[in-house]
Amino acid sequence: MSAVVKIAFRNLRRNARRSFMTMSAIAVGAAAMLCFGQFIAETILEFQTGVVRQNGHISIFHAGYFDFGAGNPAAYGISDYPSVIRLIGNDPVLKPLIRVATPTISMFGIAGNYGVDASTTFSGNGYVPADLRKMGSWDRYGLFRGWPPIPIGITDSDESVGVIGVGIARILGECAALHVANCPTPPRVADVSPAIGAAPPDFAELAKRDMTSVAPVHHGAPRLDLLTATSQGAPNVASFFVIGAESQGIRAIDDSYVRMHFNLARRLLYGRNSTEATAIVLQLNSTADLALAQERLQFLLKSRHLNLETRDFTQLNPFYAQGEQFLGAIFIFIASIMAVIVLFTVVNTTSMAVLERTNEIGTARAIGVQRSTIRWQFALEGSLLGGIGATAGLVMAQLIGLFLNALHISIAMPGSSQPSRLILLTSSTAAPLMIGVWLVLVVVAIMAAWVPANQAARMPIVDALRHV
Amino acid sequence: MNWHSARWFGLGAAFCAAMLAHGSAQAASAAPSPDAILRAADIVRFPQQPFRLTNTLVEYINGKAHDRVVLSVYSKPDPATAEFNTLVRYVEPPRDAGKMVLFNGTNLWFYDPASKESVRISPQQRLIGQAADGDVVTTNLSRDYAATMLGAESLQDADRANRDCWHLDLKPKAPGAVYARIEIWIERSSSRPVKAKFYSDSGRMLKIAYYHRYSQVLDAVRPTETIIIDAVDVNLVTTMTTADFVAQAIPDAWFQRDFLPRVP
Amino acid sequence: MAKEAGRDVVRFLNVVKTYEEGAVNVTALNGVTLAVRRGIFSMIVGPSGSGKTTLLNLIGCIDRPTTGTVEVCGQAVAGMSDRAITDFRAHKIGFVFQGFNLHPVLSAYENVEYPLLLLGLNARERRKRTIAMLEAVGLYDHRKHRPNQLSGGQKQRVAIARALVKEPELVLADEPTANLDSRTGASIVELMRRIQREHSASFVFSTHDPHLMSHAEETFMIRDGQLVDHRVENGA
Repeated sequence: MSAVVKIAFRNLRRNARRSFMTMSAIAVGAAAMLCFGQFIAETILEFQTGVVRQNGHISIFHAGYFDFGAGNPAAYGISDYPSVIRLIGNDPVLKPLIRVATPTISMFGIAGNYGVDASTTFSGNGYVPADLRKMGSWDRYGLFRGWPPIPIGITDSDESVGVIGVGIARILGECAALHVANCPTPPRVADVSPAIGAAPPDFAELAKRDMTSVAPVHHGAPRLDLLTATSQGAPNVASFFVIGAESQGIRAIDDSYVRMHFNLARRLLYGRNSTEATAIVLQLNSTADLALAQERLQFLLKSRHLNLETRDFTQLNPFYAQGEQFLGAIFIFIASIMAVIVLFTVVNTTSMAVLERTNEIGTARAIGVQRSTIRWQFALEGSLLGGIGATAGLVMAQLIGLFLNALHISIAMPGSSQPSRLILLTSSTAAPLMIGVWLVLVVVAIMAAWVPANQAARMPIVDALRHV
Repeated sequence: MNWHSARWFGLGAAFCAAMLAHGSAQAASAAPSPDAILRAADIVRFPQQPFRLTNTLVEYINGKAHDRVVLSVYSKPDPATAEFNTLVRYVEPPRDAGKMVLFNGTNLWFYDPASKESVRISPQQRLIGQAADGDVVTTNLSRDYAATMLGAESLQDADRANRDCWHLDLKPKAPGAVYARIEIWIERSSSRPVKAKFYSDSGRMLKIAYYHRYSQVLDAVRPTETIIIDAVDVNLVTTMTTADFVAQAIPDAWFQRDFLPRVP
Repeated sequence: MAKEAGRDVVRFLNVVKTYEEGAVNVTALNGVTLAVRRGIFSMIVGPSGSGKTTLLNLIGCIDRPTTGTVEVCGQAVAGMSDRAITDFRAHKIGFVFQGFNLHPVLSAYENVEYPLLLLGLNARERRKRTIAMLEAVGLYDHRKHRPNQLSGGQKQRVAIARALVKEPELVLADEPTANLDSRTGASIVELMRRIQREHSASFVFSTHDPHLMSHAEETFMIRDGQLVDHRVENGA
């Protein structure tokens, strides 16, 4: 067998230029597959990091909330969330997996800046500040090393402050106060309706008797009135001080987004003395633990007869799941094309070699070399082309990756609120990809060489010897 | 019809109907119990028998009249619960004519004659516009709230006249009440409500109501106009004026949601 | 390696070989019956197109007869599988080609050693035999050279060494001196003679070379696919 290997290597050198061209084609194909694959992988992981930072891995809801709760969040609250969090936190299986377990509130209502006659529907999100900050520091894949933490806008020292989306800030005329750039003030709708009836009575005097003007600004932060209906169906209103406007990426969200302290949201939606939340969010240390955590959680909830259901972040963010699938499909499509090109290249090269060595093949067969040995000879040469070419491609990809990373390019991913850095993974998460691409190309090369190799083996000896 | 327009006067009007009532009870004794005072005020505001009336709502923004709606209101105590069920039909403006709102028990239904469909209005959807005004004028205060006496006060009514009033503080008797707290001033001599302030669970004031233009309506002297000042949207004031008050027998069927297409 | 007992190393009985050339059926051998004796120089002669090469191919077991019996080294080759026949060739038959047919990427040493790998001998045995063979053909000093570094005569000597290193029962040579000048050709013939005597191998040639023909101990003349003459020389 070592003779076969020895001969294979020497044959590669025999027509060095052709071998080099073939291996280069394979190398380029390998490098392209790897760079693209790494780009896709990095995109997906960055996307995932963003989602997990904001929404954790698993959300626990009152049963039925996921399907119907958006229409009436108040009716689908989790009562006594502290005990549920305690239950989860004390579970021996879940405890080492969980990084953050926090209650959240989702609600909607009317936000008004009545000083300028502006009001609009808002979508309120209540978080516990310390937990949200911790969630925002999740960086399992090391993509944001060295980046400063993003300010969350809510704080435990004052539960009435928070942030809103840029779109809703614009609609409510808060751009100037929040220092948002490129933001026109909303037009005051001119009152063109004719005066109706007799001159109206003096309401201003009546109103003034009781209207203690609620302080419009609180340490420089403008005030909004948040109006909602409680779980009992009663109207409720709270003052909310906005300390910043934060773009939310997707316009529909940006036009209604309000982030507030959990307690403010809870009091608004469920009343002052409530212990209800709309969801409990769990962030795990690692996404790989998701299936295990889900399973254990279901078991735990069912065993305590709690009427709660769970959803993971892919179910809550169909965009993420779709994005992951889509990107994966593109990669497979492109990788397949590359593989086919490699296949054709190697078939061509091996066929030419077989043709040139017809006489040699005939001689070997006459001397007593078996057909299978001839077959293996050419297959091995094909696999050497594939192996060396793929290895060269791996090295090329690493170099390209290091180069691109050093350039610190930023790209805005679709749907995200900020541009992120383009990194090609040169870390351990790229290893399976590299091994996979390498193996695929070597297998493709062997397969490609097999048909001409088979032809060589089956050549009638007499005809082969007649060749010069 | 735009669900979220500020033209939900109908709802306010619906409940406002209960305001004009038939009752007697001029309870003017020395230091009666707070609940008795409240009950007396309720009787001044709404009658105990079926009736219909015309309600005119005018919305003022920044002091200027902005919008005007005229409604026909039919109200009747429910045979089972003694709660008032109310059916409101839009008369003006023409584009809303024929639309109806039904309040029976705790559900609010909107009916559109063009589609002949009725839809339930959720509490969220009642937030905007004047839907909540209805709560201000209809709420059966003595039934839903427990009163405590804060003292005797003198205050100016909507026409700047001084009135000697009992100042009561109301807290809900059961969860499900619309307001977390109400302050109400009731004239001591006549049990007429003069003014009320309505608060949300967070402690913020939601609305201020002034009841005035008392005149003989049917068998009692009742307020024919209520001024509602929005304490959140400070530019907004609504007036509700009742007229054409008539005691009338109304079929129970009218207060069924399924019957709405057939109400004449 | 024990040699088969028996007088003949090759036996043909009414062998016919036809093949298709385009749409035409060509008969290369038309009922040939012969026997080749062991341990001598045998020659096959005839004009081109006579079926000479076909006959050699059949003797070398690199082709099969259409009908008839072919027996080589006492073995009827008719029913054998390709694997079995290839193995048979590896052990029993050595080839020397007109064009030398050395493996271009292997050195002289490696070319000579190559058939021994097919026999599964251990490294020490292979080395012993290879070196012995190289020395026998006088090319030990050139053992590391590649074929493109050797002259025609040297290449043919390597080819002979290769054919004989496995001590085959039968050596076939198709025009072995055709590509060599007369002096080199003569020395090759001498070499083959010497080796044939030393190893008692059976040699079957086809040739036009008169010098080689003069060494023939038995001659078979072929014409138009038939054996037309058979001569025994030198009192063998």
